[in-house]
Amino acid sequence: MIGRPDGPLLAREEQQLVEGLLGGNEDAVRALYARYARPIFTLGLRLLGSAEAAEELTQDVFLAAWRKAARFDPARGRLSTWLMTIAHNLAVDRLRRETGVTRPHLVLVDEVPELEWVDEEQPLIERDAAIRALESLSDAEKRLLARAYFGGLTAREIAEADGIPLGTVKTRLRTALIKVRRANQDKERP
Amino acid sequence: MTCLEVRELLPEHAIGVLGELERERIHRHLLTCAGCRKEAGDLGQAASTLAFALPPARVPEGLGEQVVARVRRAAGVPRTRRRARTATAGLIAAAIVFASLGWGAVMAGRAERFADRAAQAQRQQAIAIEHFQQVLGNVIPGGAPSDNETHIGQLAPVASGTGGGFALQLVSPRILDFVMVIVNGLDDPSALPMRVQLVNDRGRVLRAGRIDALDANGGAEVYHQFRTQGLGGFTTVNVVDSDGRLVLTGTVDQSD
Repeated sequence: MIGRPDGPLLAREEQQLVEGLLGGNEDAVRALYARYARPIFTLGLRLLGSAEAAEELTQDVFLAAWRKAARFDPARGRLSTWLMTIAHNLAVDRLRRETGVTRPHLVLVDEVPELEWVDEEQPLIERDAAIRALESLSDAEKRLLARAYFGGLTAREIAEADGIPLGTVKTRLRTALIKVRRANQDKERP
Repeated sequence: MTCLEVRELLPEHAIGVLGELERERIHRHLLTCAGCRKEAGDLGQAASTLAFALPPARVPEGLGEQVVARVRRAAGVPRTRRRARTATAGLIAAAIVFASLGWGAVMAGRAERFADRAAQAQRQQAIAIEHFQQVLGNVIPGGAPSDNETHIGQLAPVASGTGGGFALQLVSPRILDFVMVIVNGLDDPSALPMRVQLVNDRGRVLRAGRIDALDANGGAEVYHQFRTQGLGGFTTVNVVDSDGRLVLTGTVDQSD
């Protein structure tokens, strides 16, 4: 149904998949899984810290995608972005529930044990492009985004930890994200 | 929330560190603000880049089949009857999405006493209906329901009761007839369980669902798709309490 298994999907291919989900088409679920299971499972592993939790998260993400397919709006971003946002939010919600706190307590990147990685002969879809986009950031910007995204720290918490104004952290977060977005846009241009 | 307030939070929204309440407030703003929606989309894509850059882990074998099986179970669909029944799941899922976006509260709001507020409420409801039709357009074969397939009505409290409600019926030759009823402002938990009934002019009553619990705003939602029964003529919508007493009532205008 969807061609080019090693490249980003075209907008109409994404729409095809979403329409398949809305129609209850199992093939659409399988196609979506084939494309995005690995980055979702990887994110789950990184955030939740165990393969078992990552498996559950992966199942939850595809179930949520099926349930929320009508909510996907291509004008607001790519299908991959939508799925990863669902995955990240579900992981954060799960950690909130388990820790009983009102903000996420994510497993810090450095605390995650080394797990069995696949070899790089079969590159993750979009991974190379993502790495290239992140190269547009300074080391400080990469650390800042990682602390927020993988560490679950809010801007206020980062500001307090580093002893810098909240507004400065917010500005830096925005600037870093805009740089990544710009790099993504550059790579999308023919 | 204003655009300024939303934009200040959008980087953290994109990164996913905001609480559920703030996320929902932002989401409501994004429904009606194209500029902030664009910004949120851009920042969200940038944030997800971090996830895609991770060294890939090996996905356990068999997980894909577990995912498909779980979706199948959630749909309540035996494989052989998939096509006919998943249309139902899609329709109800779309209605739930609509309600979860906060439109239900808009639609079920009590009538405003002042003309300017009433006009504002009407505008909001018109937007809500348009949004709902768009959502349904994604799940109904042949596209969004037309105005003459979509019928709405407001529910009002009887006597000195409280609360309000909204009923939407889809009466169409293309799909199974469907009703969604959303209520809020009900303040008597002892009246539970309540029942939603549709009544025609000959007094025939159809059961459309049951309300077992109210949320913090005294709200609840009921969805029902009728497999064998058409809803033509069932224009009266009643919500009755556990003793059968009328709590809310209203009429759906099917004459469009």
